[in-house]
Amino acid sequence: MRALLLKLEPVIWLLFGQGILIGTMLLTPFIAVVGLLVPLGIVDAEALSYDRAHAIATAWLFGVIPIGQLLLAALLVLPLWKGAHHVRSLLIDFGGGERDGAVGSLLYAIALIGSILGVMAVLAL
Amino acid sequence: MAGPSHSESMAPPKPGRTRTAPPQMPSSWWGEKRIRTYLLFDATGILYFLIGFQAIRLTNALAAGPAAWKAAIESLSSPLYIAFHLLCLVSVVFVAVRFFRLFPKAQPPSIGPLKPPPRPVIHGMLYVVWIGITFGLGGILAGVFF
Repeated sequence: MRALLLKLEPVIWLLFGQGILIGTMLLTPFIAVVGLLVPLGIVDAEALSYDRAHAIATAWLFGVIPIGQLLLAALLVLPLWKGAHHVRSLLIDFGGGERDGAVGSLLYAIALIGSILGVMAVLAL
Repeated sequence: MAGPSHSESMAPPKPGRTRTAPPQMPSSWWGEKRIRTYLLFDATGILYFLIGFQAIRLTNALAAGPAAWKAAIESLSSPLYIAFHLLCLVSVVFVAVRFFRLFPKAQPPSIGPLKPPPRPVIHGMLYVVWIGITFGLGGILAGVFF
């Protein structure tokens, strides 16, 4: 298991790094508006009406780039890889590295399944 | 959680006449300030996992139609979700501030003939992009633009 994880490390680190960088940058406005400002009534709920939310999520840039779906896919997928890698690191710190192969594989498998579910959800829009 | 930590790492090449105890992790290792911050940085991974799946749930609701979307958005008003999202927002800001400070230090001295900008410039650029995306995308989501 560990040998496989070492082979996949460049891909895992790419997704993990982008999870911190791009994931964090996209999560900040998402959590602020969708998770807090609208539920608290500070922003009118009409801003996230179905028609408006769907239009934002399926917006196109210059008619050729599906910018809404691309950003949404990044928002759904990348934080999962940041989460998997950092939870793995946390478990090594507290529990040692003996079971790292199995634990790391399980965490990345969850991130992979979540990524597939996320991309499917975006494509279903 | 005291225990032997790489007990052979400090061993001399030849055993000496005086026996020494193997090095031990102090039981309060996780409470040291620098380690604690590092562990908190890692622990934000749990929230990133959860908010990622939360975003997938919302997207599935959007794909399912107006009734499912309305129900999903209304569910976010629950105090538990508000507290969760508040914790997530604090975590995301913490990750950004810490990571943006580390990012310039992790850059290679040069990539081929190109040299990266000075560290304070990279640091500042990250903040400009982050604040720009936060207000730009946040403004779109909140209905300020478009």
